[in-house]
Amino acid sequence: MEVIHVPRPSKKAMYPDRPANGLLLAQVSHLQHAERRLPLRYRSDIYTHTIRTEGEAANYIREVTEAIHQAHADAAKRRAKPARRRGLEIAAAAERPSRKSSSKRKTKTTKRRKK
Amino acid sequence: MPTGLDQLKHIVVLMMENRSFDHMLGSLKAVDARIDGVSDPLSNPDTTGALIKAQALAEFQGQLNPDPDHHFPAVDIQIFGGDTSPGRVANMQGFVKSYFNQRRDVGHSQKIMYYFKQSDLPVLTKLALEFAVFNRWFASIPGPTICNRAFAHYGTSFGRVDMDPFDVIEPIKSIYTRLIKATPKHTAKIYYYDTASSTMEVVNLLQNQPELFGTYDRFKKDCDKGILPEYSFVEPNYSDHTGDSGEEVANDQHPDHDVLAGEFLIAEVYMHIRRNPKLWPNTALLVVYDEHGGIYDHVPPPACKPDKFHSSEADPGTNQPFKFDRLGVRVPAILISPWIPKNTVVDRVFDHASIPATLAKFFLEDDDPNRSPREINADVFIEPNVAPVDANRNLLSLANMRDDCPTFDV
Repeated sequence: MEVIHVPRPSKKAMYPDRPANGLLLAQVSHLQHAERRLPLRYRSDIYTHTIRTEGEAANYIREVTEAIHQAHADAAKRRAKPARRRGLEIAAAAERPSRKSSSKRKTKTTKRRKK
Repeated sequence: MPTGLDQLKHIVVLMMENRSFDHMLGSLKAVDARIDGVSDPLSNPDTTGALIKAQALAEFQGQLNPDPDHHFPAVDIQIFGGDTSPGRVANMQGFVKSYFNQRRDVGHSQKIMYYFKQSDLPVLTKLALEFAVFNRWFASIPGPTICNRAFAHYGTSFGRVDMDPFDVIEPIKSIYTRLIKATPKHTAKIYYYDTASSTMEVVNLLQNQPELFGTYDRFKKDCDKGILPEYSFVEPNYSDHTGDSGEEVANDQHPDHDVLAGEFLIAEVYMHIRRNPKLWPNTALLVVYDEHGGIYDHVPPPACKPDKFHSSEADPGTNQPFKFDRLGVRVPAILISPWIPKNTVVDRVFDHASIPATLAKFFLEDDDPNRSPREINADVFIEPNVAPVDANRNLLSLANMRDDCPTFDV
């Protein structure tokens, strides 16, 4: 059977500094809407008004998408935890689990992350 | 006699971005006259009054910059040629005029009439000729992405014609919720490309039901392992960005993203289903575009049953409320399955509300009565598999599975 060749996009097609189109900016604003409803510790601290390029938009979109997943996963874990006896509860109260992946990723700028 | 419909277990929808039917598939009229593509006299006036013909001069990237306007007021100009009178008729004569408004460059505005040669798009055109191509699949509203995509998820955009966040208005539920909460339960997933591309359904689905989502990598693995859910909705990559596995080129085909990257994605989705002998016989893949992206098409969108939600007078930007009683511009749509006769051309009218309508009728025999009027009245592209099946409407009509379906080198 004939195998049809699919041309690959040229390497020049990759241009993360291209100005973000209206759709991406709308997606950013939808994610910002969702981010405002997240507990503070999950928020990205990225100032969305400075987002201009596709790479910058993608960076913010990744941060908030991952934060939404993380917030839900943490909430599910909390719901699933069996009730502990009081003594243990007091012993464990000093340390509160933080969002590991988010703290690593937190950034104050919208600069595209370099590899 | 049993047909391919009896085998069907999975439905996959891949929704691309912002290209019109004539732009992508218009060249196929020359190959098969039943396909309602571009024929010689099609034209639009430019702002000097010269008639600009539709021509096979489209390029993969760099031609449609700035992104052609496809918000409600611009699409109104494109469809009605700028006529705002009460008795106006859709004539598809305002595309060049609308594009001129963005750069005020007469020569550049004419590029909105360009379409691709068949040889430019070996994947999309091959699939259209091999399986079922829809001559009359329209965007759900004459407006932009978010509200059109909402029709694919909910059968309505809840009265919205713009790109702002919207809230679901109960009792209408997404098709995913309806499937996974049904008795017996069904399975459904939305696969976005990666977390840096994410989804266009943020405010209601991602925010409240993130468990519905997976990545495109996961989609490919689920195909390979044969564990695809009954319904999968696949979103393309919406941006050029650096992902976990290196550079990722946008493959949504939204202008001005590279059309070839989208061709590759379509081929890859198809081949991941095609390669698994346990999946291919019982899966139907719909490749469809969310809206026309401001690019020329010659077929006037028809009227439809109005939705129960209306926009305000101010929202559409035309000083007229919109009752969701007519469809948007025509888009490419192709249904793929080895049970579809080669070179099938479908002339019935569809829009994105047909997606939840089809899923509900196929998987949920006793579906939620709280569906939008648009969904209730939308035609289905896969018949419910309950006797008697109307042979004239059943696209998966072959009694023997085809063994001549194309393969791509992806």
